[in-house]
Amino acid sequence: MIKTENLEKVYRTDEVQTKALHHVSLSVEQGEFVAIMGPSGCGKSTLLNLLGLLDEPDGGSLQLLGTETNRYSERQRAELRKRSLGFVFQSFNLIDELTVFENVELPLRYLGVGAAERRQRVEQVLEKLQLLHRRNHFPLQLSGGQQQRVAVARAVVNAPPLLLCDEPTGNLDSASGHDVLGLLTELNEAGTTVLMVTHSEHDARYARRVIRLLDGQVVLEHSRHQF
Amino acid sequence: MLPYPLLLIYRNFKRFKSTFLINLIGLSTGLAGALLIYLWISDERSFDRYHALDGRLYQVLENRRTAAGIETQTGTIPLLAEALRREMPEIEFVATTTPVPFFPPFTLAAGGQQLTAVPKYADPAFFQLFSYSLLVGTPATVLRDKHAIVLSEALATRLFGSPQNSLGKAVKWQLAADSTQTSLVAGVFAGVPRNSSEQFDFVLPFASFRDRMQMSETIKWDDDGPFTTYLALKQGADPAQFQAKLAGLLKTKSAQTQTQGRTLFVRPFAAGYLHGTYENGVATGGRITYVRLFALIAGLILVIASINFMNLFTAKASRRVKEVGIRKALGASRASLVGQYLTESVVMALLALVVAVGLVQLVLPQFSELTGKPLALHWEWPLGAAGLALALGTGLLAGSYPAFYLSGFQPAAVLKGKLPTRAGEVWTRQGLVVLQFTLSVLFIVAVVVVNAQLAFVQRQPLGYDKAHVVRFDTGGKAAREQAAFLAEVKKLPGVGQASSVLGGFLGGRYVAERSWRGKRLPVATMLVGYDLVETMGMRLVAGRSFAPQYRADSAAILVNQALVTGLGMTDPVGQQLDGARIVGVVGDFHYESLHEKIKPLVLQLDPQVNTVLVKLQPGAEQATLARLQQLYAAYNPGFALDYTFLDTDYQAQYAAERRVAVLARYFAGLAILISALGLLGLAAFTAERRRKEIGIRKALGASELSIVWLLTSSLTWLVVGAIGLALPLSYLLMQRWLEGFAYRVAWQWWYFAAVGMGALLIAWLTVSVQAWRAARRNPVLSLRAE
Repeated sequence: MIKTENLEKVYRTDEVQTKALHHVSLSVEQGEFVAIMGPSGCGKSTLLNLLGLLDEPDGGSLQLLGTETNRYSERQRAELRKRSLGFVFQSFNLIDELTVFENVELPLRYLGVGAAERRQRVEQVLEKLQLLHRRNHFPLQLSGGQQQRVAVARAVVNAPPLLLCDEPTGNLDSASGHDVLGLLTELNEAGTTVLMVTHSEHDARYARRVIRLLDGQVVLEHSRHQF
Repeated sequence: MLPYPLLLIYRNFKRFKSTFLINLIGLSTGLAGALLIYLWISDERSFDRYHALDGRLYQVLENRRTAAGIETQTGTIPLLAEALRREMPEIEFVATTTPVPFFPPFTLAAGGQQLTAVPKYADPAFFQLFSYSLLVGTPATVLRDKHAIVLSEALATRLFGSPQNSLGKAVKWQLAADSTQTSLVAGVFAGVPRNSSEQFDFVLPFASFRDRMQMSETIKWDDDGPFTTYLALKQGADPAQFQAKLAGLLKTKSAQTQTQGRTLFVRPFAAGYLHGTYENGVATGGRITYVRLFALIAGLILVIASINFMNLFTAKASRRVKEVGIRKALGASRASLVGQYLTESVVMALLALVVAVGLVQLVLPQFSELTGKPLALHWEWPLGAAGLALALGTGLLAGSYPAFYLSGFQPAAVLKGKLPTRAGEVWTRQGLVVLQFTLSVLFIVAVVVVNAQLAFVQRQPLGYDKAHVVRFDTGGKAAREQAAFLAEVKKLPGVGQASSVLGGFLGGRYVAERSWRGKRLPVATMLVGYDLVETMGMRLVAGRSFAPQYRADSAAILVNQALVTGLGMTDPVGQQLDGARIVGVVGDFHYESLHEKIKPLVLQLDPQVNTVLVKLQPGAEQATLARLQQLYAAYNPGFALDYTFLDTDYQAQYAAERRVAVLARYFAGLAILISALGLLGLAAFTAERRRKEIGIRKALGASELSIVWLLTSSLTWLVVGAIGLALPLSYLLMQRWLEGFAYRVAWQWWYFAAVGMGALLIAWLTVSVQAWRAARRNPVLSLRAE
């Protein structure tokens, strides 16, 4: 599903060069639920951005779903994102001007799905996530937990094989957080590969495998049972 | 339910209401300004283009070599048309005509009615050349008979009730003091469209004029002629080849013409209206100058409005970067984002177009009055297409920067909701502000200078007194017995003096070379009656003016000082100038507009000239005018006296400049409004962007005033920069405009100081309103927002 070799990412400002990622090699198989852990600034989010093709690496190779993406054009990257990847962000990243329904519908629009089918699929996923009654609300009218549920709904509405989550519970209270993690587990059990960045040991327990990063390098990989 | 893109736009507009309004107002006023100018320009361009043969229609002009260079004239001799018809097989039709200003209106009488109407004499081919559609009669034959008269529909209706009714009827007509003639109505034409450079009411056969003036006996090829010759080339004839043949034509005609240095050439008929000015034999423009100037203004206004739109749109868009990030993360292609932004900007521009059309409808009556054209907004395709193209162009231009700029970011970078501030972007935005204000300041300086020059025109001593002078043309008995008529006018209570002059006191004059002791000088000639110097309050520098008791005055002349200086005369009175004795010298006076230098002038006595000037004593003008009308009616029963004040004539010389002044005022207002709106939007944007910084500064104890300065200083410097750029530029441009005047106002340093300060003040007021609001905001709110 994912295979990286010596992935590099460097941030440059006028005076300083910061190596955000250094020789990161890892692989994630289909159907896995993997947590990426580490303290603040260790490069977790940078890694997730690279894996999600939201940013470009400065070196190394990245294979997604069996293809090398390093030479992908912007168009190809957008294509891969919309067909095969789903994102859940810490800050939800819903578009404030769009209703719940329209936010969830967005990936299907970019896929060119017809209006009738869009409606059906969005309603299906909203129902599953118990959001159907909120379909005409705007994000700012919802609680944090509800907003993140909308974000999850949006991430999975096009049934992507790979779901990338960046601190999905970071802005939520513990009950809502539990709720969202349960949702991710369900999706994983139904066959979606889930990759989750977190700094919470509690959240990491939902994953079957944990990759630990420190200062941009992989320091440890272990399965859930090895805690 | 709105379509999806429109829904997005609607929600965005709702979210950014003030930006939306600023943008809408800015762009729609800009588009409205441009549309108005478009209407004016397309009307100017439509002149003389309605003839079926347009494209093959030409007017013959003549270049004449003189000591002062090549002079171009539209007048041609009446022998020309016949020669062209015989010798140039590529010509389909050719006609000699009298130019409309050649005659004062004729007096017409028929069916018990009397009225005056504007005549034109023309050869039979006239109605074949020009598409004045005939309601009665056929184009080829209607002017064949020497006693024919062809009336306009309006004239025929007034005289006979209907065009059909007028056929074959007799019309008596009279030119000034001439004897009465009778013509029979041979045709009726629909009338002359408004967008014709010549307006006339009826046409007479040129042949009858030729007979009357006994031209066949008197006119030779080396003579001058005031007549206009028009021709149409046959389909497929090569104008260049024809031009070459025509150039050599005069040389073949007589021994004199061979050495006269005269060359004929043709100019497309429709080009005459806009390209009527020649300098040294080369077309140098004419009204086209104003067309170009206004086109430039329209363009600049659009640029300013469009810059605004772009600036605000970009500024607003950078508050939406997070949205771009999300959309990209979800797989939106760059094209779809570009599409979204472009759609948004184009929809916005189209909306502005709709508002602009409303605005245009609203101000069109005033604009029509201002321009002297009954303009109307007809949605014919060129206007519709132009409007749409303008809106689409502006929309695309404005949307393209944010569309391509924002969509180009890596999603990871913009997902954080912040744009990496790029020096390029800041420079672009600031550059746009500088450009806007530069243009605004330019407009304002133009307003100041044009108005200063117009005030100067009013103040300038003219060498005569234009106050309380009325001018009118005499006709009928008053013209035939002009001396008696003028004597009675002078006796009327309230009349100071009265005189007459050929064709009016102001305006260009016939110029011919005169020589004195071997020196040659182009000299203008004014044919005048007795008492002109006294009537006009001109200054007599030496000698005397004309008086009836000197019988030899018919061979005497008065000259102006410019002539005395030009020829270097030391004791001019008593000298002979080309056989005429100088009896007096008048002080220089502006017989032309202040565009022209006062040129050497000869006043020659001709008591028959029938444009009468009457000096009224101030205080009882209305009563005096009533008496004057009574007297005129006693000479010409049934005729109203059609008079104008000389001051009106004087002002008419600067009608174009006055129009420029008013338009410049409007457009300067528009430019400054749009620029200020842009600045307002930008200030709001800056305040929003620096909201947290302001919060922190305030939390640390910064005063509100220091925050206001923080926000206004950078924009203030931009405006100062723009002013610094605009002032020298406006000096250069306006200096060029002023150079069109031989007598012009001197530059005052305060023009620049005032305009600079004004622009700065406007900018500062605009920005500080926003800055003050930002400075007053509770810092806790700003800090919590992050």
